Amino acid sequence: MKKEMKAISMVLIISVVSLAVVLSGCTEEEKKNKIIVGTEALFPPFEYVDEDGEITGFDIEMVTAILTDLGYEVEIKDMAFQQLIGAVQTGIIDVIAAGMTITDERLEQISFSIPYYTSDQSVLVKSDSTITITNYSDFADLTLGAQTGTTGALWVEEHLMNDTWLKEQNINYTLNITLDTYVSYTDAVQDLRIGRIDAVIIDNPVGNAFAEEGATKVIYVISTNESFGLGVKKENTELLQKIDQALEDYMATEEWNNLVLKYFE
Amino acid sequence: MSMLEVKNIYKSYGTLEVLKGISFTMEKHETKVIIGTSGTGKSTLLKCINQLDPPDKGKVWLEGQEITNPKIDINKIRQKIGFVFQDFNLFNHLTALKNVSIGLEKVKKIEKEQAQDRAIKELQRVGLKKQAHQYPAQLSGGQKQRVGIARALAMDPSIILFDEPTSALDPELIGDVLDVMKSLAGEVAMLVVTHEMGFARNVADEIIFMEGGVIVENGPPKQMFQNPKIERTKQFLGKISTLYGKE
Amino acid sequence: MAIDIVLDSFPQLMKGLAVTIGLTLTSVFFASILAIIMAIGRSYSRQPIPFLILIYEKIFRGIPLLVLFILIYFGLAQAGIIIDVFIAAVIGLALHSTAYQIQIFRSAINSIPEGQFTAARSVGMSNFKAMRHIIIPQMLRLSIPGWSNEFTIVLKDTSITIAIGVIDLMRQGRYIIVREPESALYILLFIALIYFILVFSINRGLSYLEKRYIISGLEVNNTR
Repeated sequence: MKKEMKAISMVLIISVVSLAVVLSGCTEEEKKNKIIVGTEALFPPFEYVDEDGEITGFDIEMVTAILTDLGYEVEIKDMAFQQLIGAVQTGIIDVIAAGMTITDERLEQISFSIPYYTSDQSVLVKSDSTITITNYSDFADLTLGAQTGTTGALWVEEHLMNDTWLKEQNINYTLNITLDTYVSYTDAVQDLRIGRIDAVIIDNPVGNAFAEEGATKVIYVISTNESFGLGVKKENTELLQKIDQALEDYMATEEWNNLVLKYFE
Repeated sequence: MSMLEVKNIYKSYGTLEVLKGISFTMEKHETKVIIGTSGTGKSTLLKCINQLDPPDKGKVWLEGQEITNPKIDINKIRQKIGFVFQDFNLFNHLTALKNVSIGLEKVKKIEKEQAQDRAIKELQRVGLKKQAHQYPAQLSGGQKQRVGIARALAMDPSIILFDEPTSALDPELIGDVLDVMKSLAGEVAMLVVTHEMGFARNVADEIIFMEGGVIVENGPPKQMFQNPKIERTKQFLGKISTLYGKE
Repeated sequence: MAIDIVLDSFPQLMKGLAVTIGLTLTSVFFASILAIIMAIGRSYSRQPIPFLILIYEKIFRGIPLLVLFILIYFGLAQAGIIIDVFIAAVIGLALHSTAYQIQIFRSAINSIPEGQFTAARSVGMSNFKAMRHIIIPQMLRLSIPGWSNEFTIVLKDTSITIAIGVIDLMRQGRYIIVREPESALYILLFIALIYFILVFSINRGLSYLEKRYIISGLEVNNTR
């Protein structure tokens, strides 16, 4: 029996040691030259997965271009949108490129590059919908959908559902809006299609991309003047400076213009 | 020295003292039967002997070795002490054959084929060769117990302890088991706790009457049944005799 | 045509399927080993081991899988250990499933009559040999129904791993839906079909196992 106990302890020790080796082997690879960019590839045309299974899109092409110019090797990592900030803070990724709007709240947690795109929020409805919006009171009694944690959702909560702001717009009653939030806006658009919600609040470019498919249309654009920025860890000031400079330079090039035309014409 | 020597065994469960100083000896090939009212510690005594439930006080020697000594390799000793249980305790996931051979294969480290041959022989000895590939669930109580005996025999024990081997059996099945046990008398030492007076009378070399945690009297069957020295023995056996009818 | 899109996406979906299956098999494998050891520990060891195992069970049955994944993935990252999402997912699934599997194996152990162990010892087996040859084989056979059920549960739980970015079948499906919204319904139906086939095959396979190894008269009935 002693022999058997010895054998088992050996097996256990070997397993634990190999597990430790495997785990440690995964930490901090040659970090000097590699930048991991985090995104959620469910946001065309900014980021999505193409027919060949490659992650691509406006953000992806742009960020790859400027980082490669800076001499880095770029790896794109896909994850849930809600995890991106945590991921950059803990070092799982170095840069966020995910059509992420620069907000005061987010600035408390991470740093942003200079804005590379300005967007508004669009109101997306079914093609055959009879809803029209000429002013904010037309939102009354609607069921809206938006992706959790996005500026669209936030805007609805802080404005359309906020009595103080409504008063400022000379609307002295509650609009009785229901806001459903979704893990992904694709789920919101699904619900829109089956009629469970009336409209989806979503970044303009993406809304337009959907509208092109034909089943939906944009009936109103809410001017929110949001800016997208690339996100980095607050402590990473050196990288941020490099990126800001590179971005500025890039946006003055022909390549940039072509990129914009390619995705947003 | 005797093959088995049991000296001054004391055993308590909590505040209840069940064995109060049991001593006796056994020689090779002897058959001794322990009788007495239920709950007098007879089963406990058996478990004290093979150390499944070690005694609080007292010693046991088997073939000159003191087996109550904690330093001893008790697993090795147990190979020499067979045990047949009231509830059979056959290994449910193994065939009758495997039940008998597994001790040989895994404990005695005998080669599989050899072990199987031996197992078949033992099954034959208890009359169950045909049932070799059946599982315990498919066997009757009497068959199960006979497999249990074969299992004990296969290990070539110096002594087999029987703990009320027929108490859980339907009356019509008891006979077969007792017959097997009878056939073993003289070949291997047997210490049997039982209520089967017929067996005690006909097969035992000595009968030990226990009550209240002590041995009240012991002696050859003829003496015990016909001329017991102690009044209580007379009482007990007298009652039993009338139950079974005087032979 | 929407159905064409499903056919075109087949390679991508199969990649996702491979990940899903890989996750399931790896997690169940590690979880089973851990659970068997812990179930035996809980039933046969001296305190405080059984108590510690009980704590483990309560903790990992109490934390939702999603929370567990995030804790592992980000928690380790905070401590400076950055691991692959697949590994984080396997760890999470395994730790979670272990807690449930301990129950299954313990239930099986409790159905084994005490006398089995006693008889094994009386034939000269050490505690270890008794466990190895008598108790564990019976425990495993008795656990088959409960264990196969757990297997399919883990399979379905793998879809939760998309939260930390594991690219399993579900996520591959989403990529396609986002790119071609028209195909949504077909893609989802197809994915549901794949899960169904998987679960069905697993059940079939394990049914066969059951038939081969379950011995008449041996059932889980908590006689201890």
